[in-house]
Amino acid sequence: MDQERIACLHCDLPITIGELRGGERAACPRCGHLVTSRTTGGLERSLAFALAALVLLALANTFPFLAFKASGLESVMTLPKTAVDLNSAGYAPLAVLVLGLIVAIPALILGIIVALVVPLLGRRRAPWLVPAGRALFLLDSWSMVEVFVIGVIVSLVKIAEMATVILGISFWSYVGFGVCFVAALSSLDRLELWREIERCTA
Amino acid sequence: MTGFPATSAAARGLACCHVCYKRAPEALHRCPRCGAPLHLRKPESLQRTTALLITAALLYIPANVLPIMTTEQLGRSIDSTILGGVVLLVHHGSYPIAAVIFIASVLVPLGKLMALSWLCWSVARRHPTSHRERTKLYRVTEVVGKWSMVDVFVVTILVALIHLGGLLRITPGSAALAFAGVVIVTMLAAESFDPRLIWDQLGDSDE
Repeated sequence: MDQERIACLHCDLPITIGELRGGERAACPRCGHLVTSRTTGGLERSLAFALAALVLLALANTFPFLAFKASGLESVMTLPKTAVDLNSAGYAPLAVLVLGLIVAIPALILGIIVALVVPLLGRRRAPWLVPAGRALFLLDSWSMVEVFVIGVIVSLVKIAEMATVILGISFWSYVGFGVCFVAALSSLDRLELWREIERCTA
Repeated sequence: MTGFPATSAAARGLACCHVCYKRAPEALHRCPRCGAPLHLRKPESLQRTTALLITAALLYIPANVLPIMTTEQLGRSIDSTILGGVVLLVHHGSYPIAAVIFIASVLVPLGKLMALSWLCWSVARRHPTSHRERTKLYRVTEVVGKWSMVDVFVVTILVALIHLGGLLRITPGSAALAFAGVVIVTMLAAESFDPRLIWDQLGDSDE
């Protein structure tokens, strides 16, 4: 039942993968491609991190992210303001892209995880399970939360000698969000998730 | 299509779904579990990857020649390019940050362009380099790609943060858009390359 016959997506070797236990990972014996990994807690753990990440993301969008003080003047940056300022500088496509990569796509991914895992844990069938599962694996390579955190650190070092920079509540919320987001995604065992979806829709 | 190596799923007409990993006969055209399109190999993989690589290489020129941001300080405005920014950081002694930007904005995109071009070429010419090594190289280009976006994010943050009226202001430059394009297009190129093509040459040499 829980033996899954697949083919490696990197070298096309047919492989059979049994149900993994917590902490185990399945890799292709020929090319080494990591097929999937299982964490203890699995779906429940992913749901918990996804909910935490959504709360932190909401916080990160409401409060000041960074503040900058020089010669008695001060300017404050918030996450939504990054897009607003790019847009008013005539860079609307860049504004959409940046906000999409660091806020919208991650938020969508988290929403999908919640919408998938809640019915799956209750063994209930929901009409959106299959499309939501597809959307999740289409979007998951297009979030750049971790890259943005590094970007913030680089910016801080760049301006540290020009002026005083103050880290706002949103900055810490976003860092926490990043940690929870990565944990929520990496707690999902792709094979297990699809087996559960199949079980609930069959 | 024939000529797949005997050890491959494709030789038995089986395709593995890219979305849910279900293995099913390719003749179904759609995955029976999730409905995603099924292919033995990614369609027109080499052609698409090559086209995207050329696009990325062309975008890389304005990304480096044009300014990525402009600093307006007390009426003076200074343009800076990606490489100019790295040089400035080195002058200020911020070596670690200079290294981060240099790796993310110069080494990674160029390395990715070269690696993927070489992989396409090696598949087209049936080059005898180890299949495993080439697959590893592909995986590196796949993982490392999005980190090039760091510089674009830095510009975004500086533009939003440094806004002190006429005293000091930073505005974005066209290179930011071109460079974001390079990152997105190379990511698409990596996604459209099918590493299984490397293993389709298994019969050619002994591994």
